[in-house]
Amino acid sequence: MVERATPLGADFKPGSYGDFADGIGITLSAPPSGTIVEATAWPGRERALAARVGKVVGLSLEAGAGAGAFKETGAAAFNIGPGRFLVSGRNEVLADRLIGAVPEETGTLTDLSHGRTRLRVEGARAEWVLAKLFALDFSSAAFPVTEGRATAHHDYFVQIQRTGDQRFELYVFRSFARAFVSVLRRAAEDVGYRIE
Amino acid sequence: MSPRRSASGGSIDRLRTIRFTFDGEAYAGHAGDTLASALLANGVRLVGRSFKYHRPRGVFTAGIDEPNALVTILRDNVREPNIPATRIEIYDGLRAESQNRFPSLAFDLGAVNRLGGRMLGAGFYYKTFMGPAVGPLRSTRFWMFCERFIRRAAGLGRADHAPDPSRYERMNAFCDVLVVGGGISGLMAAEAAARAGKRVILAEQEPETGGFALWSGETIAGKPAADWARTMTEKLAALDNVRILPRTTVWGHYDGNTLAALERIGDHLPKTPKGHPRHRHWTIRAGAVVLATGALERPIAFPGNDRPGVMLAGAVRRYAGEFGVLCGDRTVFFTNNDSAYQAASALKRAGGHVAAIVDVRRTISEAAAALAAEAGVVPLTGQAIVETRGGRQVTGIVVQPFDAATGALSGDARPVECDCLAVSGGFQPVIHLASQAGAKAEWDETMQAFLPPAPGQHWRGAGSFLGDMTTAGALETGRDAGLWASGKKPSRAKLPETGAPPIDIAPAPVFEIRGKGKAFVDLQHDVTADDVRLAHREGFVSVEHLKRYTTLGMATDQGKTSNVPGLAIMAEARGISIPEAGTTRFRPPYAPVSIGALAAERYGDLKPDRLTPMHDWHVEHGARMMEAGLWHRPMIYGAPGETVEQAYIREAGAVRRSVGIVDVSTLGKIAVKGPDAAEFLDRVYTNMFSTLPVGRARYGLMLREDGIAFDDGTTWRLGENDFLMTTTTANAGPVMQHLEYVLDVVWPDLRVHLTSVTDQWASAAIAGPDARKVLEKCVAGTMVDNEALPFMGIVRGTVEGAPVMICRLSFSGELAYEVYCGAGHGLHIWEALMDAGEPFGITPYGMEALGTLRIEKGHVTGAEIDGRTTARDLYLDWMLSKKKPFIGSGLMDRPGLIDRNRIRLVGVISLDGQPLGGGAHIVEGGSLDDLGQSIGHITAFCYSPALAKYIGLALVKGGKARHGTRAFVSDPLRKRFGPVELVSHHFFDPDGRRMHG
Repeated sequence: MVERATPLGADFKPGSYGDFADGIGITLSAPPSGTIVEATAWPGRERALAARVGKVVGLSLEAGAGAGAFKETGAAAFNIGPGRFLVSGRNEVLADRLIGAVPEETGTLTDLSHGRTRLRVEGARAEWVLAKLFALDFSSAAFPVTEGRATAHHDYFVQIQRTGDQRFELYVFRSFARAFVSVLRRAAEDVGYRIE
Repeated sequence: MSPRRSASGGSIDRLRTIRFTFDGEAYAGHAGDTLASALLANGVRLVGRSFKYHRPRGVFTAGIDEPNALVTILRDNVREPNIPATRIEIYDGLRAESQNRFPSLAFDLGAVNRLGGRMLGAGFYYKTFMGPAVGPLRSTRFWMFCERFIRRAAGLGRADHAPDPSRYERMNAFCDVLVVGGGISGLMAAEAAARAGKRVILAEQEPETGGFALWSGETIAGKPAADWARTMTEKLAALDNVRILPRTTVWGHYDGNTLAALERIGDHLPKTPKGHPRHRHWTIRAGAVVLATGALERPIAFPGNDRPGVMLAGAVRRYAGEFGVLCGDRTVFFTNNDSAYQAASALKRAGGHVAAIVDVRRTISEAAAALAAEAGVVPLTGQAIVETRGGRQVTGIVVQPFDAATGALSGDARPVECDCLAVSGGFQPVIHLASQAGAKAEWDETMQAFLPPAPGQHWRGAGSFLGDMTTAGALETGRDAGLWASGKKPSRAKLPETGAPPIDIAPAPVFEIRGKGKAFVDLQHDVTADDVRLAHREGFVSVEHLKRYTTLGMATDQGKTSNVPGLAIMAEARGISIPEAGTTRFRPPYAPVSIGALAAERYGDLKPDRLTPMHDWHVEHGARMMEAGLWHRPMIYGAPGETVEQAYIREAGAVRRSVGIVDVSTLGKIAVKGPDAAEFLDRVYTNMFSTLPVGRARYGLMLREDGIAFDDGTTWRLGENDFLMTTTTANAGPVMQHLEYVLDVVWPDLRVHLTSVTDQWASAAIAGPDARKVLEKCVAGTMVDNEALPFMGIVRGTVEGAPVMICRLSFSGELAYEVYCGAGHGLHIWEALMDAGEPFGITPYGMEALGTLRIEKGHVTGAEIDGRTTARDLYLDWMLSKKKPFIGSGLMDRPGLIDRNRIRLVGVISLDGQPLGGGAHIVEGGSLDDLGQSIGHITAFCYSPALAKYIGLALVKGGKARHGTRAFVSDPLRKRFGPVELVSHHFFDPDGRRMHG
C-alpha cells in the first residue's frame, strides 16, 4: 500500500508556538485520514442509509440535522446536510465496504479519502480559537459532543464534528488544507498551541 | 507633580509615571491617564487646529464624543491619524502629533483662512470654484484643479502609505444577553441576567467598567460608587457565564440582534503581546440586548465657544474625578440645567476653584443652589455668555442678561476672568444602536432630547440611555432590563441606597446664544450656527440636505456633540419644532472602526490558497508559479537565464517532439451519481451522454439558459450510473452551483447526487509522441495500447503500487493521456511518471506551454467562452444535439445569437514577426491615422514553436468568412500596430492524426 502524502507541508511540524507562556491553549494534529466517504440518501431513505452506514462502521447513527456518532477507536459519522453524511474510519479499505453495503435504491456513496484532510483541534481554548473562524455557537449546549456542522470560513468549506468537550475534528478540502492550517495557527497564537 | 494635577484622588496610579511625547515635546503622566488627561495635567491647552479655519482647539470632552483633540499616533513607523486624545491610554514611549497645521501647532500658516472667514461659509467650494465656459479649465475641470489644493489646505490628519504591520482578527460570539455599556445600569443588567443563568457578554468601550460611577464621587450601598462598580465587576468576572469585554465599542446593531463590536487589545500597550492582535472584531449574535449606552452632554453654541479651555462641564468633572486633573485655575460654568452645579461642586471638592456659574435660567432648584454654595459661588442666573476672550486659550468671558424664553440679550455685558469654561447644554441619550435597530427616535420636550425608539428587536434600554440621569434610576432600570432579558419579571427587591442629591437635569430649551463672532455648532467640521442659517436661506432645510450642504455631523465624531444643536437652530430658522425638523437615522458605525479589523485575516499572507498535491515538487524544480483563481499553478519551469518565452517555447517544443507532463489537478471534478445521472447529463450538456458506454469519456459543452456558452470539459462514464464530470479550473464552483440549482429547483424529481471530487484526484497529463511509451514503462494491471485504450477510452491500473485511472484525451493535440490517482498519491505518481519518462526526455510544462499547445490546436478555453459567445461563435455547433432538449436550447437560436456577422473564432498570424497581445483590437484600417472600426479582438496569443510564428486566437466579425484575409492588430496600450492574417483556428494538425494516432 502506497502511503498517502500529507498536504500540510514541512511547516507543520511538532512543537509549541504562539504565546504559550501561560500554557498551551490547544493542540493541533492531523490524524491519518483513513477512509472518508460522503454518503447521501434519496429523499425518504435517510434513516435507512444511516442504519446501513452505522452497521458497517459500528455506530448508532441518527438521521437528523447535525446528528453524529463516533467511537474512540476511529469510526465517526455525522450529518452534513439533508440526507447527507460524512463517514470516516481508520481503515483505508472501509470505503469499498461502505459502498458495497448501500444499495442503489437507498443512496449513493462517494469516496473522499484523498479529497478531505482531517485536522484535530483539542484543548481548553478550542472553542475560542474555532469561534474566530466560524460563525457557529461552539458552546457544548449548542454544539454537543457527537454532533457535526457543515460550515465555511471565507473560501474554506469545513465540516466539523465535536468528539469531546474540548475536542473537534475538522474536515477540509485537501487543496485548501495547508492554507487553512495557516489560518488556524494564526488564530491560535494568542492562546499558545502545540502541534503533535 | 504636573501643574494641574490635584494632590490626590482619581483612578490613576500615581506611583507609576508614564513618559510620552506630543509634537516632539517630552511629557509625563500616570498609568490610567488618557493622552488628553495627561496633556491637560501638564497644562497643555492647544492640541489641534480646526478643519477649515485652522482655529486653535483644545480638549473639549473626556470621551468618545471628542470633536477637537484629534491627533496622529506614530507607532512602528506607521502614522495613524485622527485618533481622539480622549481615547488614547498613554504608555511609555507613546508618540503623538497634532494635525492640520504647518509648520507648527503654535504657528500655523493655515490660520490665514480665518481672515476669509465669511467667505468660507457652507457651500463655499461649490459656489466659488465654478470654471469658465471655455478653456482648459472649463466647467468642472476648474473645480477638479482646485480640489487638490483645497484638500491639502483643509481636512483632518494625513493617512500613511506604509503597510500596517499590525495584526487583526475576527471573532464570532453567541450569548443569551449582550449588555452594551458597563456603567451602573449595565453592571446591574449583567448581574441580573447572570444570576438567571444566562450567558452574558458585557461590552464596555472604556478600559474599566463603572462608567459615571468611577468619577461621580457619589455613593452606592454606602460606599464610594467607584468601589461599588469595581466590586460588581469582580463578581461578574468570577462567573463562568459572563464575559466582560473592556475597551470594546459596539458599533453596529443589525437584524436579528446581530451586533458588531471592536475590541482594542494592543493600543494601550507599548507593544502588542506576542500572538495577540491589535484589534479584534466581534460579531455577536445575542438572544437579547440591553442597551446601557449612557448619554452624551451637549454644548451650547455661543460666540467664541471653540477657544481652547472651553469644555463640556461633565468632562471637567470627569477629569477631576477620574484623573485628578484640574482643567483650570479659575473655572466658569455655563449651563441650562442643574448638572453643571454637580460638576462645579465636584470640582471644588477636588481642589479646583469655581469662578462663576452662569445659568440661562432665571430660577434654579434648591438642590442646584445648594451645590452652588458648596462650590463657593452665587450663580449668575438669567445670564448668558456672549463672548470668550483669549488667544490660544481662553482668558475670560463676557456675560450679559439673557431671556431664555425669547433668546434676547439685554442690559450691560460684563467680563469675567477665567482660564476654563465648562459648558452644559443638556444631555442626549446615546440612541445610535437603537436607531440602527429600529424605529425613529422620539423627541422629549422635558429632556429636550431624542429618546430611544420603541424596540423593534429583542432589546431594552437602561440607565441614562432612557433619559433618566440619576444613579438610582440606573440601578433600577439596569436590573429590570437584565431581568427582562432573562425572561423574568421586574423585581421588587430593595435596590442599593444612593447618595446623590435630586437635581433638575431637564434643561431650558436654549441651544444658542446669538452674538458677534462665530458660534460653532460642529467643532470638528467648523460648522457655525450661521452656516446652518445659510443652508436654510439657500433651501437646504431638510436634515439630510443640511448635513450634506454644511457637513454638519460628518467625520470621525459623527456629530455626537452637534446634531441636536444644529437641528434646533434649523428648526428655529424654519419656525417649526425640533421634532418637526426631524432627525437622521443613525447608521453604523457608532465610532470609527479600523479597516484592518474588518479585513482581518482575509488579506496578506493568510489569503486563501489552493495547492495541488504536486505543488512542492513544482517549486523545488524551478517552477515560476502563477495564480489561477485561488490555485497556484506552474507558469513555466524556467532554466537558468531563460525568459518566459524561451521557457514555454522549449516546453511546448518538447511536447511536440517527444513527451511532456503537466499538472492538471486543478480541473474541476464532480461525481454525478444515481439512476438518473445519464438523463441529467443529457439535459445539462448540449450533446448526448446517455449513449456513452461505460469506460469511455466524451467532450461536453454546457450552455446557460440564455443560450450563451457556459463551460466545457470531458465527462467520464465510470459505471452505469456513475459519471466523473470535469470542468474548467475557473468554472468548477459556478458549474457545481448551476448543477445543484437545477437539481434542487428545476428537476427535483431526478435521482442524482453531486459531490465535488476536485480534491479527491490528482491528475497529470502526459502528452507527446512518446506519451504511450512512458505509460508502458510504468503502468501495471492494464494495457495502454490503442486497442485497450483508444481515444477517449478509460482504463484502471497501478503505477508503482498506487491505483490510477487513465483516460486518453488530448488538450494539446498530441497523443495524450490524463492519469488520475488519489490526491495523496499524486506526488508518488508524478515522480513515477517522471522516472518512466526520463529515457524519452520527459519535460514538465507549465501554463504558458499548455496555452501555446492549445492555441496551436485551436481549442477554446475561458478566454473564448467568455460569457458572450455562443457555441456557433466558437464553431462548436456540431455539439448541439438535435435529438433532445438541453439547457439553453430554447434560447440559443434567437436571431441575435445566430447572426453570421457576430464575432466568431478565427486564427491570427502576425505578419511582421512581432508578438500579439491579448485584448488587442483587430481593425481593417491599414494605418494608425485611419484604423477603421474594430472588427474583433485577440483572445489568446503565443509564439508557436510548431509554426515558428507569433499566432493567436481571435473573435472577429464574420469569423470563418474572413479566413485568408488581412487585417491589422491595434493595441494602443502596448503601442502595437501591425499586419495580421486571419486564418482557421486549427493551426496545427487539423485532421487530428497525431492525437488519434
